[in-house]
Parts: sequence; C-alpha cells; structure tokens
Amino acid sequence: MEEVLLKIREVSKHFGGVYAVNGVSLDVRQGGIWGLVGPNGSGKTTLFNTILGLYRPDRGDVYFNGDCITNLAPHQIYGLGLVNAFQLPRLFYQMTVLDNMLVAARGHQGDRLLNSLFFRKRWQEQEKELIEQSMNILELVELDRQVFSLAGELSGGQRKLLEVARGLMAKPKLLLLDEPAAGINPVLGEKIFMTLKNLCCNGTTFFVVEHRLEILFEFASWVYVMDKGSLIAQGYPQEIIDNPTFYEAYLGEG
Amino acid sequence: MNPLLYALDVLVFIGIFGIVSLSLNLEYGFAGLANFGKVAFFLTGAYSYAALSQIGLPFYLCLICGAMISAIFGWLISLPALRLRADYLAIVALAFGEILRLIVKAERGIAGGVWGITVAPIFPYTGSELIYRLENIGLVSICLFICFLIAQLLSNSPYGRAIRAIREDEIAAEALGKDRAKYKAQIFMLASAMAGLAGGLYAQYLQFIDPYMFMPMITFTVWIMVILGGPANNWGALLGAALVELFERGTNIAKDYLALPVDPGNLQYIMFGVLIIFVLLYRPQGILKESHVKTKALELAGYGRSTAEDKRG
Repeated sequence: MEEVLLKIREVSKHFGGVYAVNGVSLDVRQGGIWGLVGPNGSGKTTLFNTILGLYRPDRGDVYFNGDCITNLAPHQIYGLGLVNAFQLPRLFYQMTVLDNMLVAARGHQGDRLLNSLFFRKRWQEQEKELIEQSMNILELVELDRQVFSLAGELSGGQRKLLEVARGLMAKPKLLLLDEPAAGINPVLGEKIFMTLKNLCCNGTTFFVVEHRLEILFEFASWVYVMDKGSLIAQGYPQEIIDNPTFYEAYLGEG
Repeated sequence: MNPLLYALDVLVFIGIFGIVSLSLNLEYGFAGLANFGKVAFFLTGAYSYAALSQIGLPFYLCLICGAMISAIFGWLISLPALRLRADYLAIVALAFGEILRLIVKAERGIAGGVWGITVAPIFPYTGSELIYRLENIGLVSICLFICFLIAQLLSNSPYGRAIRAIREDEIAAEALGKDRAKYKAQIFMLASAMAGLAGGLYAQYLQFIDPYMFMPMITFTVWIMVILGGPANNWGALLGAALVELFERGTNIAKDYLALPVDPGNLQYIMFGVLIIFVLLYRPQGILKESHVKTKALELAGYGRSTAEDKRG
C-alpha cells in the first residue's frame, strides 16, 4: 500500500453556529487522482482552505507527509510541497501570464532581496529554465498565445486554466484542485484531467473537488463524498455511483 | 533672488524628494503598502543626521546611520502592516508620523524641541552660494542614482515579481510560498532607509530643522508625486517628483503676481486636491504606465517583442 500523503483527523471548522466542516477524517495516499464530491455548501472548499492553513480548524489536525501542518502558515505548507488552485481564480491580474507562472516557481534564487540586487547572474540561468517549463505547461492548457498578456485580460475560462497551470508550475507533491473543469469547455476539461493523469506518473498526487462527475469518475482512483460538513461515503468511483447515500445527498431525499 | 540660484535650489529639492518618491513607489507602487506616514522616516533621517553630526561623525556615516535608524523604524511599522488591511495601515502610519513629530516637538532634549536645531552642512560655506548649491546637487544626484539603481534592480527581478504578487493578492502569494511578513518587512526597511537618507540630505542642505518642517503635508505631496508619475514605475516616480516640485514652486512664484481673493497657501492645497482628482479620473495609472518585470531571460523568451502580436492574436 502506498504511503499516506495527507492525513486529516477529526477536523472541524465552524462559522458562527454553522459547522461548515464537522469531524472529517480522511487519507490521501501517494499517487493518482483523489476526488471529493458533495452538494454545494457541503464544506469541501472550507476543508481545502483548512488544509492550506488559510483557516485554522477549531478542532482536529492535518498531517502532510508525516508532519503536522495544522498551525503552519500557508507559505510553509507550500514549502512542504502542498499547493492549491483556488476555486475562484486568484490571479495576479496586473501581471503577465508568464509572470503569474514564474511567481509560483519553487526555490527561485532571485526571490531573495540580496540576490536580486547583487547576484543577478545566479538566477538568470534558472529563470531561463523556469520560463521554458512555464511555456510547456501553458501550451498544455492552450494559453501559449497569451504568454505576455496581462492575466486580467483573460476570459473566465482562461483564468481558471491559468490558475490550474500555476498550481502545476509549483511542482507540488500534492495539488489541491477546486473545480478545475468548472467553466471550461468539455473537451478541454477532459484534456486537463488527461494531463493530470499523465503527471501522476511523475509522482504528483491530486486531490480534486469537482461537480462534473462524469469526468471525475472517469479519472479518479478513489472518491470521498461530503454532505453538510461530514464525510458520508467513500470508495472507488464505481462503488460511489452505485451507493444510494450518494444519490440522496446530491438529489435530495425521497 | 538670482534665478540661477533659484533653479539650482529647485534641482536639489527635486533630487531629495525624488528619493522619497522612489521609496514610496517601492512600498505603494510595487508592494501595495499604503504608507501614509512617509514623513516620519524622512524626519527620522533628518534628526538622526542632526544628532550624529553634532557628536562629530563624518557626514557619510551620519547619512548611513540615519538611513539605518530609519530602517529600524520602518521595520516597526511593518509589524502592524502584517495584520492590517491597506486602509487601516494608512491610518496607523499617518498617526505614527504625527506622534513621532509631536514627541520631537515636545521634548527639548531631542534636537531643541519646538525651537529646532541648526545642522552643520556637509559642504562648508565658502562664500559662494553657487558653489554650495552645485556641491549639493552633486551629492544628491549620487544618492538619487544609487536609490534609483536599487529600485530598478529590485523591480526587474524575481523579487520584484514576488512583491507585485503580494500587492495583487497577498493570500494567493502566500499560498504560493511567498512569506509576506518577510517581504513586507524588507520593503518597509529598504524604503524607510531611502527616506531617511533623503531626510539627512535635506537637513544638512537647509542647515536647520524644526518639527514644523515635517508636517503630514510632506507625505501627501510625495503621494501626489507617485500617483501623478505612475505607481510601479521608477521613472514615473522621478517624473512625478519633478512635476510636483515645479508645480509647487511655480504657484509660489505666480501668487506674487496675482491678486487673489483667497489665501494663496490654501489655494495651492486646493489645486493639489483637484490635480489628484483629475489624475485618478482620467489617468488612474499615472503619466507613465506600470513597468512590468524585465529580466534578461524574459527578453530572450521574446518579452517586449511579441506583445503586439499577442494583442492581435
């Protein structure tokens, strides 16, 4: 059995009287695409934000690769290899598409104050390589014609693609994707998942929230189902499809 | 007054405020930190220079130490900046500047309190006002050049990309591994050091400082420079400094030849306000647009060449 990459134990998060996430425990193991589904408002995005350190859980702990990351700042969590693509793209809109990609690059020497002032040679080569990597990823998501446009000039779907591409640029061990295929044409949506599947071979794991179940179930190796802040089912995609609880949650009781 | 001397005086002021404008541009233009307490760091530099030159340190040490003391104050203001949204940070910084000024004003022990203090000039007066000003122009130009170089190198590097990202969306930047606490502290310290350097130059050039020379209006004037010239563009910061300084001097001269029904001093402030409104309405990006990150690698990748093509495609 593969190593457990992400371990969530009894995590709860409430806003006022509402428990957005209530005592959720789940594991994401190394490799493959892991799905998280559930109706709107079931707490999926809150759970993601808690994992990322954007929210502090009221109870429970999150472990990544064996380290407890519950109280780490988001940039430290990034440092461990856990990266996220936001549901509503949070791009740097006054910056070019390529700059958006390069911000996400891991371990860029030029990010340091002194290197940017005095040791510019040190990172020029690295920057060249990173640009090449960015171009490859942008080509994959069909944004290679907009490389030098401002991110703010992209259409809604393209912004979504750039958000996903930026996540990939960060070379994560585990990438959290919040509805990567939402607002993207079906063919490209399928292509994104194909790409993710291919990247799995390089040792990247994906944990994906997605409402486009037909695509997710085609690619996911394991699916968790949430409803009203709790985990209500889990299993192989085929099992989930056959599970009556899943239908109840999605289509309402009766 | 001799017009030549007057013009040289204007140049010295443009240089000094150009440095302050560059420093605010680093904070606000690139990193999105609304520092409305700029004058506090200018004041720190000026008073540090005055105090240190009195104990007999050579002028370059006075300037450097003044910049470093300002940097420490800059680090102080970066602490609330981590927790506050831009508008609240602006209020805190504004109050910080005023508190500092009032402390200096109230405490006689600190450089003469409300009476101010005379400052020894770097270039001793040799009998020629012309030479004195030319010497100062030389010194200010060197300092301005160094500050401009630093600002250009920073903004055209991955570091400049990171601080722009923090300006655009600090949560997203943080989630992409940018430690915003570190970046904000560094930018505040660096920019405050520049402002402190300018303060030192200012104090020794005028040879006298008192608390009334560091009113919040200085902060606002520098803000107008940055907004007018174009935030996130270092050339814009310089251009803004020159235009605002010329505007201020121009209106000062003009008022002597005009019979106005209102107090000309107040009218000048009103005109500044109107100017800001016009800039924000009709050219919110300032005279010069934001300059995007340029590195050698980006140029090799075709940045700058293919932008026009992309627009068409």
